[in-house]
Amino acid sequence: MSQQNILEVRGLKKYFEAGRPRLFSRSTRRVHAVDGVSLDLRKSEVIALVGESGCGKSTLSLLLMGLEDPTEGRIIFEGRDITHLNDAQRKGLRRKIQMVFQDPYESLNPTQTIEEIVAEPLQVHGLATSRQVTDEKVKKAMEDAGLKPAEVYLKRHPHELSGGQRQRVVIAAALVLEPEILLADEPVSMLDVSIRAEIINLLAELRITRKIAVIFITHDLGSVGFFADRVAVMYLGRIVEIGTMLDVLERPQHPYTKALISVIPVPNPRLRHERTILQGETPNPIDLPTGCRFHPRCPVAIAICKASDPSFVTLSKTHQAACLLLVK
Amino acid sequence: MNRWTYIRNKAIWSLFTIIFVVVLNFFLFRVLPGDPARQGIRDPRLTPEAIEAIRIRFGLDKPVINCIQTINPFRAGSCEINPLDTQFFIYVKNLLRGELGISFYYNRPVSEILGERLWNTILLIGGGQILSIIVGVVFGILSAWKARTPLDYGVLVTGLVAWSLPTFWLGIILLFWGSTHGFPIGGKATPGMSSYPFFAQLTDMLWHLLLPTLTYTIVFMGEYMLIMRSSLLDVLSEDYILTAKAKGLSTFQILKDHALKNGMLPLVTIIAINLGFTVGGVIQIESVFSWPGLGGALFEAVSRRDFPMLQGGFLLIAISVILANFLADLMYSYLDPRVQTE
Amino acid sequence: MSIQTVEIKPIIPSASKNFWQTYRQSRLGIAGLILLLAILLTAIFAPLLAPYDPKSSEGVGAGQVYNAPSAAHWFGTDDAGRDVFSNFIYGARVSLIVGFFASFISVFIGGTIGIVAGYYGGRTENILMRFTDTMLVIPDLPLIVVIVALTRPSLLNIIFVIGIFGWTTTARMVRSQTLAVKSRKFVLRARAIGAGRAHIIRHHILPLVMPILVVQAVLVVSVAVLNESTLSFLGLGDPTALSWGQMLNYAFARGAMSTGAWWALVAPGIGIIWVVLGLILVGQGLEQVLNPRLNTHHLMPSRPTIKSEAAARSGEQVLLEVRNLSINYINEGQAPACAVEDVSFTLKEGELIGLVGESGCGKTTLMLGLLKLLPNAGQIVNGQVYFKNKEITTLSDDEVNKVRWRGISIVFQGAMNALNPVRTVGDQIAETIIKHLPDFDSAKIPARVTELLDLVGIAAEHKEQYPHQYSGGMRQRAMIAMALACNPEVVIADEPTTALDVMIQAQILELLDQLRKKLGLAIIFVTHDLGVVAEMCDRVLVMYGGVTAEYAAVDTIYNTPLHPYTQELLKAFPDLTKPKKKLSSIPGYPPRLDDLPAGCRFAPRCPAVFDRCRTEQPALHELAGELHVVSCHLVEAIK
Repeated sequence: MSQQNILEVRGLKKYFEAGRPRLFSRSTRRVHAVDGVSLDLRKSEVIALVGESGCGKSTLSLLLMGLEDPTEGRIIFEGRDITHLNDAQRKGLRRKIQMVFQDPYESLNPTQTIEEIVAEPLQVHGLATSRQVTDEKVKKAMEDAGLKPAEVYLKRHPHELSGGQRQRVVIAAALVLEPEILLADEPVSMLDVSIRAEIINLLAELRITRKIAVIFITHDLGSVGFFADRVAVMYLGRIVEIGTMLDVLERPQHPYTKALISVIPVPNPRLRHERTILQGETPNPIDLPTGCRFHPRCPVAIAICKASDPSFVTLSKTHQAACLLLVK
Repeated sequence: MNRWTYIRNKAIWSLFTIIFVVVLNFFLFRVLPGDPARQGIRDPRLTPEAIEAIRIRFGLDKPVINCIQTINPFRAGSCEINPLDTQFFIYVKNLLRGELGISFYYNRPVSEILGERLWNTILLIGGGQILSIIVGVVFGILSAWKARTPLDYGVLVTGLVAWSLPTFWLGIILLFWGSTHGFPIGGKATPGMSSYPFFAQLTDMLWHLLLPTLTYTIVFMGEYMLIMRSSLLDVLSEDYILTAKAKGLSTFQILKDHALKNGMLPLVTIIAINLGFTVGGVIQIESVFSWPGLGGALFEAVSRRDFPMLQGGFLLIAISVILANFLADLMYSYLDPRVQTE
Repeated sequence: MSIQTVEIKPIIPSASKNFWQTYRQSRLGIAGLILLLAILLTAIFAPLLAPYDPKSSEGVGAGQVYNAPSAAHWFGTDDAGRDVFSNFIYGARVSLIVGFFASFISVFIGGTIGIVAGYYGGRTENILMRFTDTMLVIPDLPLIVVIVALTRPSLLNIIFVIGIFGWTTTARMVRSQTLAVKSRKFVLRARAIGAGRAHIIRHHILPLVMPILVVQAVLVVSVAVLNESTLSFLGLGDPTALSWGQMLNYAFARGAMSTGAWWALVAPGIGIIWVVLGLILVGQGLEQVLNPRLNTHHLMPSRPTIKSEAAARSGEQVLLEVRNLSINYINEGQAPACAVEDVSFTLKEGELIGLVGESGCGKTTLMLGLLKLLPNAGQIVNGQVYFKNKEITTLSDDEVNKVRWRGISIVFQGAMNALNPVRTVGDQIAETIIKHLPDFDSAKIPARVTELLDLVGIAAEHKEQYPHQYSGGMRQRAMIAMALACNPEVVIADEPTTALDVMIQAQILELLDQLRKKLGLAIIFVTHDLGVVAEMCDRVLVMYGGVTAEYAAVDTIYNTPLHPYTQELLKAFPDLTKPKKKLSSIPGYPPRLDDLPAGCRFAPRCPAVFDRCRTEQPALHELAGELHVVSCHLVEAIK
């Protein structure tokens, strides 16, 4: 294993039972939410995980957080296998990996004050040793998250803040534990366009000032542009293409990635272009298609795609894609 | 989940509940202080032989259940006894045959007495329930539609007051008023009516039924009004009502085609859950108006310490409520398509 | 009797206002509080208030049976010659004691079961809730009657029995509230932080379940009071504690009816109603605090349009023309909120205009105003809407109904809520045809519905399905099919792709574009997404804080925008053709409509702001040449 990888994921799978658990019978239908994902994350790297809803990106984030138990596969953090840990063992680790959620309206407890929210992680981990230490850490985290001056916000409740400010509070509550990895699950999709950039810029800053690695989960390829080092595109529980940001955005190889990029609206009417619009919707992850799971919607599928499941083809040192058409 | 699975699950659950009630009903009367046998035959004039004879007659000489002579855990009985010869199994066996024991008071089979009275109760509940639902729904809709108008406030206050009326008290007041205005003071028929033609008898019975039904209607309409009002207020602020309005439908069409069915859903649930409480109300109304129904039977059995009657009455009431609940669930599954494909 | 069944939906209380301030607004709640306080004080100070000792008939002769109310006996005397008023006062003690203690038991059991079932879930929940449902179905009053009849009727027994059988609804309610709280993201976030179960229950679940528990407790007290009085009336009360129910029992059984002694019957009843009504009203007040219900719904009439002088019209041949439209929201006791101010635009046949703005900029209000669909507080205060040269804002409801859907239809955002969940999709489409095209052969309606669904790419077999059986994209398509059902000339698409995946979004946009070309529709496309607009619109109206910021042809908006807001918004938009470019953001937040800045509404966030912007609202400047309207002081110089 490489020394610089802070997190390694190997063949991670998560299946859920379909339907509600029955009293007498066990359901044999399973939802293949995450179906064999491997990924490396280097220190202070930003990796964007892109995919449509139902591609398993949110389940993957819960697995990485240890909030769901994987069905198969391994997660290695700083050289230590953390796939199956009990709550006590995981507790120390939680400080290292923190999460930012999609909806800042939902992810804050309305009855707590901002101070309580940001200080809560310290209390949970027994780091709130003295009032003074707590106050300092809380203040530092809030100012790092762009809530300056912190005193203005401490005694307020979430409903008194705007969407962007709330998302900053969530980020502050993550930063207060000084994590090494930040998992951001669609952190800007609920925010107004004019403030999205703020939050993305904040995350980009943090990876430099705090050397935090960021896993940025989004359905919007357009928003990953300027700050992601690498981009992984997911479809139906798997990564279908991974490479550096420029690899994926400018030289996409997988037909799914190409289609995703072509439908991103370009804010310039002079650049109206031909779009590859995939027909139908993502199949449900219970009855997976045979062969390549993308073939029913693939505009360039050939006969073999129905039969054979593609594995990764290495296109360059940094760029891989899983498509049978790339095998030459 | 399709509709049949839903119905099957509900049916299984109802059956399970009935079994639970049957067992509960048996042990309740054995566990609680005051052995029914001793309660029933406490008369000091009885000789020990006579008491023993009564014990045998009511099957009280047998062990309660296998291995346990009485409920007292310190007095373990013999385990070698034939399980079919215990009180519990005899009780279950008799139940399956439709036998609920002999009333201490009437000295007649309980099932026979209750059988006659069941229909009177159904008549009272049926009429009252229909009336209160109609009144509740109509005023609930008006009140929600005309929200924040004097009409709305009127319905709200009426509903809240009706809701807080003690059923028996309202019955007493209506009876008091009725007795001075030519209404019958209770019972099901005027004495001597049995020789009259059928139609006259029917009119007489409906005349007797009027005040009990009115009591029932007033007590339950309040709640139905309030539920309907708040449920419809929720429905009317839903986006699909705005869609319906944008479609150019008239207010009446929107209420009829888009709001009514959706607004009725919580009411159906409430009515189903309510059935148990409904029976509570019926006991009170029947005791006040001496209406010869199940609730009245239960009340009389309490005051006469007629335990077989009490036991049988409770069982019949509980099972009726469970079955009615099952019917309400079925109805719900037809009203709400989301149930079928959950 | 059935107060237990009052439904409180799971809600997340907001700690927004101080408790008393909100409670005070509920008139019913205040009335309840007064009723309760009065009876509570009566019970506490009973020995001081009662003129006679309740147990003995001191001062009252045996001959004074059923005396009518008099100066000596305000409420008359009862069957034993006792003073009804004194008994009434002492009766309050019994009722309240039973009520409070029994409800404490119920709420404790119900609360524990509810929280445990809701939080732990799985098998624990299954078993607990099955048990609760079973207990809920078993009629409780008969059961209580049976048990009390079998035990000794003492106050303690009654409290326990009522308490032990009164917890089921509390358990159900607390469970659904716990589930609702648990499913919230802040609980997941607490787990992600590393918090254990005990911490989460204590800090996140309990504070949000507690309010529901309090409301529930109040209602359970009222049930317990009613149950106690019923038991006593049935002769199962504690003979040593003279409660209101018992007073009624004695009066009813001992000839109050035949002697016409109404006072002996009325007084105790009033006592019971007093307490129960007080409790229910307090419950209403508390609920109002927890779950401030919207006071309005869609069937409440909106405020009448204020007629204004018709401004000169452009004279062009257009389908739809909006002239200087202003819409206010008027809430009592507050200054009117100017949601839309002085907006004008035109729409020609087959044209597609984009209406762009951030949340709260008034774009949805504007669309609703076009068809007079404004909510109760909304009022058109100025301007006109001409559809095919007919002024709409002053039409009566019946006349507007003829324009709605037939002339102008709407595709709403979030089609899940915009479709009626209990009617099939086909039925909801057919309904519009029946309403607006009475001459349409009713036998051909099913075929027409199939045709419409086919037009948007939905197979005919889905016609008889319900909205919840559709996927998000399909619902949006069905909504479009419904909008086309009566061949309208204008379709308003209000954020039709928000919350959909990028690929589905692209599908819907392409569909709309194709339909426009095929059917010659004019479309108003409302969105917050500048990129989407650039792809397909002819003209764009950018709104900010309720006013027009800039209105021009699409190419002008993107390549030579003049309003600083448009310029900044474009910079904040990620551009895939320049992936390395750093995004710029606009500092600050959009204004709230009830708290607009004095001058230009964009001034607090504007990079080019100068003094005049803070005091004077810029006029709409129309630039020479091609259509270009900008509301910015800086444009004056260019002009």
